[in-house]
Amino acid sequence: MRFAHLADVHLGFQRQEPLQEIERRVFEGAVDRCIAEEVDFVLVCGDLFHVNIPDMRVQKMAMKKFHDMHDAGIPAYAVYGSHDFSPTSSSAIDLLEAAGYLRKVTVSSWVDDHIRLEYIQDERTGALIAGLSGLKAGRDMEYYERLDREFLESANGFRIFLFHGAVGEMMQDEISGESLPLSYMPRGLDYYAGGHLHTFRNRRFPGYENVVYPGTLFAGQTVDMEENARGMGRGFVMVDFGDKVERVRFVEAPGCRYELIDVDADGLASEEAAARIRGIADSIDADGKVVILKTYGELGSGRTADIDFSAIRKGLLQGGAYYVMIHRRGLTSKEYKTRGESMGTREEIERRTFQDSIADVRIKRAALTGSRGVDLSTDLLAALRHPRPDNEKKVDYERRVTADATSKMGLE
Amino acid sequence: MNVAGQVVGGGIGDILVRQQSGSRLEVGDLLVSEEENSILILEVFGLQYGSQIDGRVQEMMSGVILEEEPPDAEFYEPNFVNYVMARVKALARVNRDLSVNLPKSLPAFFGKLRIISSEDLKFLQGGGRDRIFIGYIRSGSKVIRDAKVWLDARDIFTHHLLIPATTGRGKSNLVKCILYHLLDSSGVGALVLDAHNEYYGLNGEIGLSSHPDARNSLVYYTPTDPPPGSRHLTISLDTIRPDHFEGIVEFSDAQVRTMRKYYSDYRGEWISQIMLTDLSMLGEAESRRDAETRSITMAVLQQKIRQALDLEVDRENNVVVSRHNVFDSVRGGRTADDVVQNIEEGRVVVLDTSKLNDEAELVVGSIIATRILDHYREAKTRGILREKPVATIVIEEAPRVIGEEVLQSRTNNIYSTIAREGRKFKVGLTAVTQLSSVIPKAILANMNTKIILGNEMKMERMALIESASQDLSEDDRTIASLDRGEAIITSIFVPFALPIQIPHFEEIARQHPPPAPGTARVKVF
Repeated sequence: MRFAHLADVHLGFQRQEPLQEIERRVFEGAVDRCIAEEVDFVLVCGDLFHVNIPDMRVQKMAMKKFHDMHDAGIPAYAVYGSHDFSPTSSSAIDLLEAAGYLRKVTVSSWVDDHIRLEYIQDERTGALIAGLSGLKAGRDMEYYERLDREFLESANGFRIFLFHGAVGEMMQDEISGESLPLSYMPRGLDYYAGGHLHTFRNRRFPGYENVVYPGTLFAGQTVDMEENARGMGRGFVMVDFGDKVERVRFVEAPGCRYELIDVDADGLASEEAAARIRGIADSIDADGKVVILKTYGELGSGRTADIDFSAIRKGLLQGGAYYVMIHRRGLTSKEYKTRGESMGTREEIERRTFQDSIADVRIKRAALTGSRGVDLSTDLLAALRHPRPDNEKKVDYERRVTADATSKMGLE
Repeated sequence: MNVAGQVVGGGIGDILVRQQSGSRLEVGDLLVSEEENSILILEVFGLQYGSQIDGRVQEMMSGVILEEEPPDAEFYEPNFVNYVMARVKALARVNRDLSVNLPKSLPAFFGKLRIISSEDLKFLQGGGRDRIFIGYIRSGSKVIRDAKVWLDARDIFTHHLLIPATTGRGKSNLVKCILYHLLDSSGVGALVLDAHNEYYGLNGEIGLSSHPDARNSLVYYTPTDPPPGSRHLTISLDTIRPDHFEGIVEFSDAQVRTMRKYYSDYRGEWISQIMLTDLSMLGEAESRRDAETRSITMAVLQQKIRQALDLEVDRENNVVVSRHNVFDSVRGGRTADDVVQNIEEGRVVVLDTSKLNDEAELVVGSIIATRILDHYREAKTRGILREKPVATIVIEEAPRVIGEEVLQSRTNNIYSTIAREGRKFKVGLTAVTQLSSVIPKAILANMNTKIILGNEMKMERMALIESASQDLSEDDRTIASLDRGEAIITSIFVPFALPIQIPHFEEIARQHPPPAPGTARVKVF
């Protein structure tokens, strides 16, 4: 028997058409592979979508592929991730569930002040599947604190637990934030299917065999693209099992070819920096590749605007580049300094800004300070930054955004 | 006024008071002399008999009573004739505006003294977010429950805290009480190396985990079977550097050179590479003597590292494994960073080091303490130290790292560095010890708050008295007679040495029960 484990697909993350095309191709390829390998079921461990109501284009594409899986007799089981979560069950995930293409496995009730999760049994394999969605602002912590672990541990059979959150023991180089202790999970289950961490990892701990994150399929944040260009493998996981897990296999999802131009311009005059970037850009074979140009540092003289990035982009495209991404947020100039420390991706800069500011906040509520406060702020920003989709009425959009934001703050 | 005695003589530092008949003064009792616009607080440090009858006559009378057993033999007006004389010293003058000064004058001659009351101690400020409750003021063996001692946690932990006592005098209880109150404060983060795994509270026992805000303020790491919500104590071998052993494990110069060479060549894998080195492969193409020397150096080094970290070499899979699951060649790469982050967010982090040997425990502490100090140094350089909470490292049997012998025979370690210069960076030590006398005077004097519990060893008492922030020269006997839970706080942050009674931890925990579960039922999405 075999199942596939996907997470953090982040459909709808890409805004540029060429990258949207890769995003689509990678996702469709993964689903086709699941069908071709005749998996018994598919697990989706959160953040299938980048936002809870993505563009119609994204919804159509997802609906089509889940329809294909459904036609192939492959059920899918899912939990919300922090990106596609909806407190009002109005996420694209719910659309897929309503269509009968997937099932959310968070079937719960309250028993003696504990959350009791019921296993869903996969018809074909008999596997027992339960899970919890990923929420932020410490709210999913509350789930785990009050989870009836013994009930899940006492069931007999092949047991899978789905979750979306960063287990502290599994973290490596992620930007620090709130993490979930593994000890909150029920012990002794056969497979812990995780989402939220964007790189593949598979570890075992005493009492917790097979704690697995497949990572993102392509990219769910800017830094993922850069990691891809540095050779990070992306994909999903296939698991062969009988009474126990027999094999966990990472299946790489072919995305595209990359070229990374990394230029430290610290101390250079703007003309020198421009010449260096042009020199590297001219020397690479960009044909058919996504080219990521990353430049940073404080120019010794001149302005950042002196570097003609448009021309560099144009040159690379003329050289056959499939797409050119330019990251120059880390580039500053002595003459025109706007902010002291701006190096990094947008997410990093936002996070650092919140960290800097939150250190000045003197407030007793732990949820508003420290890393939890930073998590909440970034979450809130994420909930508020998305414009209204074409297919949504203004009043619905306002209601949804308000509900999202209040939910993330734990106020609904 | 409920008179306890009357000043009849003496001088500064040693005032003689005649005890009022019927009152029963004790060593350590606090007395008050009411004066114009202020009160003077005095402490009894000695008691002796006084009598108007000559000593030889007293002895003769005793003989008559003992030998003849006359019926109805008694002194004529005994309360006038025989009495108790107390030796007292002035501790503080409390002015009407509740300001406190060191007293520089004597109480009125023949002035009447009364036992202190909670009203007299109003100057002791109440609790606040960054203040921690240490105990109740004690007058002799009488506990004044209304007079609570709260200290500013930021102050006392920045300037190092020493908790000296012999076994059974309540050290663990005191540490638990202090940490419990720290959980209310975001102004101080603490790293606790819990060698006896006694602070967290496992298997239904009351412990720090009983605190209502434990979920947010307490982080617990243990190597095996962490209870729900706590974390595996696993530290990647990659995070260990040669300098983390400094002052903890003794290495020869040749061994240190080898360690540095391997660290330089293999970085994070240096320990694994040393442990997996096949001695027979060393020294190829060198002279036989050199080869032998290198082989011996490596063999001893392997043995020392193996013993220090409790490592084993799995020859079959060619990997290094840890006997207690704490050190790992794959997992635990972020543990040290996570611990530091939690401390920088003002949390109390308890590491269950009960399964580690002494050296491994100190190396774990060294890894984390080094990072904390580095972070805080950098914060100072960047001008953002103000934003950080004070960090304190709680270490038991402190002479293991700051003892005279250790510091003389080995290089400085991170703990002694913190003791000497951590204050500048808001990083302090909370040192628990039975043997203060083996800590160098310079370090002892730097520990600006000491909560002294009972100690029957003269040498230990003298070390404390000599390094106290207040003059305790007359308190030798008092310290010796401190019962379990009784203590004296001497600190640059208190106006005089405060005699206190430390509450039982269970009493404190029961006063703040955790919120009842099920008061709100979250919706599960």
